[in-house]
Amino acid sequence: MKKKILVANRGEIACRIIRAIQELGYTAVALYETPDNAALHIRVADEAIWIGDGPRIDYLNIDKIIKVAKNHNIDGIHPGYGFLAENPGFAKACEENGITFIGPRSEVINNLGDKVTARRIMAEADIPMVPGTDNLPADETEAVKKAIEFANRVGYPVMLKATAGGGGRGIRQVDNDSQMKEQLPIARAEARAAFTNDNVYLEKVVLTPKHIEVQVIADQYGHTVHLGTRDCSIQRRNQKLVEIAPSLIKDDKLLDEICDTAVRAAKAANYTNAGTVEFLIDKDMNFYFMEINTRIQVEHTVTEMVTGIDIVRTQIKLAFGKKLLFKQEDIQIRGHAIEMRINAEDPQNNFMPEGGKTVTTYRSPGGYGVRLDGFVYQGYTIPQVYDSLLVKMTVFGFSWNETVDRLRRCLANYVITGPKTTIPFYLQLVNDPQFQSGDFDTSYLDNHPELLEYKDDDSEVNKLAALIAEIHHKGFNPYAA
Amino acid sequence: MNRIVQGMNIKEVLKTVREADGYYITNTARDLSQSDFKNRILLHTDLLAAEQREKAGYFSLEITGGASVHVDILRKQVDPFLKLKLLREAMPNTMFQTLCRGVNLFGYRPYPQNVIRLTVREFAKYVDVWRVFDFMNYIPNMKAVFEEVQAAGKILEPCICFSTGPEHTDDFYVSKVDEILDVTGEDIVLCIKNHGGLGTPKRIGDLVSAIKDKHPDLVLHYHGHNTDGNDIGRITAAVLNGANIVDASDHSFCGFYGPPPILSVMQTLEDYGHKAVTVDPEAVIASSDAIRDERPHYEIFESQFKGFLPTVQIHKLPGGAMGSSLEQADKGGFLKKMPDILHKELPLVQKELGNYWSVTPGSQILWTTAVSNVQGGDRYGNASGDLRNLLLGKYGPFPFYKPADWIYEKVLGPKWQQVLEEEGGLEDIEDMDLEKERQTLTERIGKEPTEQQLVLYLQHPNDAVEFFKFEEKFGKVYVLPPSIFLKRGGFDLGEDLSFNDHLGKDHLITIGPAQEDEEGKTTIYLTVDHHNRSYIMAAEQKAGAAAAEPEIGKEEIEELAAVGDVRAPFTANVCEIAVEVGQEVSVGDTLVVVEAMKMQTPVQSKVDGVVASISTKMGAALKPGDKLLKITNEQEKDEEE
Repeated sequence: MKKKILVANRGEIACRIIRAIQELGYTAVALYETPDNAALHIRVADEAIWIGDGPRIDYLNIDKIIKVAKNHNIDGIHPGYGFLAENPGFAKACEENGITFIGPRSEVINNLGDKVTARRIMAEADIPMVPGTDNLPADETEAVKKAIEFANRVGYPVMLKATAGGGGRGIRQVDNDSQMKEQLPIARAEARAAFTNDNVYLEKVVLTPKHIEVQVIADQYGHTVHLGTRDCSIQRRNQKLVEIAPSLIKDDKLLDEICDTAVRAAKAANYTNAGTVEFLIDKDMNFYFMEINTRIQVEHTVTEMVTGIDIVRTQIKLAFGKKLLFKQEDIQIRGHAIEMRINAEDPQNNFMPEGGKTVTTYRSPGGYGVRLDGFVYQGYTIPQVYDSLLVKMTVFGFSWNETVDRLRRCLANYVITGPKTTIPFYLQLVNDPQFQSGDFDTSYLDNHPELLEYKDDDSEVNKLAALIAEIHHKGFNPYAA
Repeated sequence: MNRIVQGMNIKEVLKTVREADGYYITNTARDLSQSDFKNRILLHTDLLAAEQREKAGYFSLEITGGASVHVDILRKQVDPFLKLKLLREAMPNTMFQTLCRGVNLFGYRPYPQNVIRLTVREFAKYVDVWRVFDFMNYIPNMKAVFEEVQAAGKILEPCICFSTGPEHTDDFYVSKVDEILDVTGEDIVLCIKNHGGLGTPKRIGDLVSAIKDKHPDLVLHYHGHNTDGNDIGRITAAVLNGANIVDASDHSFCGFYGPPPILSVMQTLEDYGHKAVTVDPEAVIASSDAIRDERPHYEIFESQFKGFLPTVQIHKLPGGAMGSSLEQADKGGFLKKMPDILHKELPLVQKELGNYWSVTPGSQILWTTAVSNVQGGDRYGNASGDLRNLLLGKYGPFPFYKPADWIYEKVLGPKWQQVLEEEGGLEDIEDMDLEKERQTLTERIGKEPTEQQLVLYLQHPNDAVEFFKFEEKFGKVYVLPPSIFLKRGGFDLGEDLSFNDHLGKDHLITIGPAQEDEEGKTTIYLTVDHHNRSYIMAAEQKAGAAAAEPEIGKEEIEELAAVGDVRAPFTANVCEIAVEVGQEVSVGDTLVVVEAMKMQTPVQSKVDGVVASISTKMGAALKPGDKLLKITNEQEKDEEE
């Protein structure tokens, strides 16, 4: 019988996963909450199931989703990213209910999701790590004492991190002892609120690092390979905006070493399915393990473009017990790919989300080397209750320069009106010489505030067309009556 | 060569005109637009004609001034200064001429010297010939402008406004010319401003001859209107008797109330042996051909009445006000009463109010009073603020005689003599604090204004600000031809509209479908330079909802006023709110000032009390009976409390 796979997600990633399911000849089943009732993922799926008014709480409701899955004879669930993707409880519930969870086993998610456990596993496997502590003691005085002792040993600044955090959340920098006393209880309270787990730990801060990550993929039979590196250094407040494959570091030996380390790390964690091993690279080209993300990542498209491997398709096949069809030596990195997250946000207003607005024009670029993973359409009203990602644009080129040129052309031809988007900001970015040189680290956006100085589409013809629309609509020119 | 070109000084110009073997022609495109198309001829059309008009070799092109500055920003959405700049680029040689309402400049109220100086200085960058008039022919009202024009080194053309009747003798007008020359000196062009197109050819011939007898070297410019169809006769008589320059315009746009065709003037005078020096008839024809196809798009602005109106000799309405007066009669539903108003009441009012010259703002006072007399029944019972000012002498002394006492009493009240004594006479206008005005404007438009923006703001504060905001939103719309800008009834689906923007870049807009949603919002789809775009139009007020509230009559408005519920007296715009909520007012206090047809009328309190609420705002468009504000009786208020 045709396999039935439930996509426990929304937005562009749901559409991306549905495509892979349908290409495999399986039945794609979508879920949705009420605010998503005009969303594209429920139109492209073979079946769509309403799970509640939400917002968000139903996409996060493990019991409800498992119940729905069982009622609809679901064989497997793909969690996408965000929502329940890295929730070990969800993977475990699938396992217990005989549903294939498309991702690593719950135990692995659990170990790697707990940053302190993860550090312990990596330490045992001799993986280089940024100096850090275990979970700080629950007793506040004790915790502060330990924290200050660590910080003074490795030197400020240090990072205070939520053990259960991830995706850039639950992290704060501490610069001195008095800040430590002040920040520790706040960080704990925040962690409790955000992750229902108030454990926190410390790590030395690597100043202005590059953020390099390695896509790894493993079957259930002990074969683990990597798909090369990605550079995700262009971030705003620890949130990635632009991702590049492969890393532009000109030291092949170093990159090979990083990739090999990633495979060792995945093996140490008994990792299966697709995952990402994140590293920080300091100015002296020392690299440190940061964490393993146990999910498909937003930026997986750049890796697909330079390797030719469909990661989501592979995920599904491996989850159902297939062997990896390729060995490490089969994987060739060819050319360059850049992905930009086109968000409904106003970069000039502190990237404030533009939810609630209707897309009045949607005209996307095309042609050689352009890939779009999105879910918006002309007339779509962006729900206010979800994230602001509209579409990921990934461009591919043989050389870095060619890729940047293609990116510029595509951004210039991208027209989205209604909500403000990050497109004009990215246009500034591609024209920046430092970006073009390919040499940037995580401090890049903070050091380039001028990228935010651009004007909206106030082209003369757009203004005149607005008047013509009004003359046409009213049947006379109200400004000449 | 006799050609007069832009940049020549007044002495060179006068010398050239005096020595020329023939007469000159001014193309009064501005007056053509005002009189026959309600001032709506767009810059786009003027630019189409520019090349040939430049070749034609006119004394000047009258292209700004009068009401046109206001209409430029109010209805054509074009910067009057940018218009002149662009025309200057297209027509480097032809002198540009303006029409200036004396101390009222291009507005409707007197301005202080410093505003006049600033305005003249800014316009003088483009305008060479300054025709200046005062509707009372009261020379002191023009003196400030005379000084500033001469100081700017431009050509001053003072007017004597012309009319007919027993008082309007040659001697009177010659004495006015003397008065002007006393103030200006001899280096001027003198204009006979026949804004109504009044008098016979013989009458105009006699007048020109009388002035020339006294001042043989004076350069005379005759300006007329063709309302009765006979202006070519008057122009001919003027030239035969020594006028040096005459006004006419392009035949493909000539109508009924504006200037007659240039070519007909030339043909007529040629047979008398008088040549229009420097005018190339081929270019005159080519100018008309260049814009002929545009005329149908302006049809909506042509007069409700087609045909000449020889009865102008009776009612004397100026050509520039004919179209708008007939439109007002049509909209106000009293078109049928027009013969009565035009042929009986208006001439009577004219006589009763001193037989002065029916031209802005005096013509509006006559017209509004006549309409109100006929419509209201009670003659002079519903006087406008401007009529009151006229009687108080705020515009200057009556030229021939004062109105009868009963009119003063009717307008100013039983204690009219005391009112006249206390409030009467011309007021000194103090200089404005220009820095303060500049600051206010900066606040209103959110950026530092240019000098030219300040000038426009000082003439028409609210309309200028609206225009600046319009340009921010819609860009430089003068690039749109009348077929787009003045389009009625919407475009066809799939229709292609092409134009160049002000930077010269060409664009193509294709009209797509329109879609209305359940809330009444309409999305208009356009293909703009091959990109699909959509424009969302807010829901319109449903016709049913607005019509549900019945219009209330005049009596009812008065009844409501008597209990403190103050309503709009007629269709007008709010131009001043004189009170604030909580302010104490007494009977006769001005609450709100409304403006219609360039006339301001105070709405006064009929009760003593306190302003409880204000339900209108500055610039609001009012229908009769619309709520303005409420006044509560203090006693009642006490009881309530």
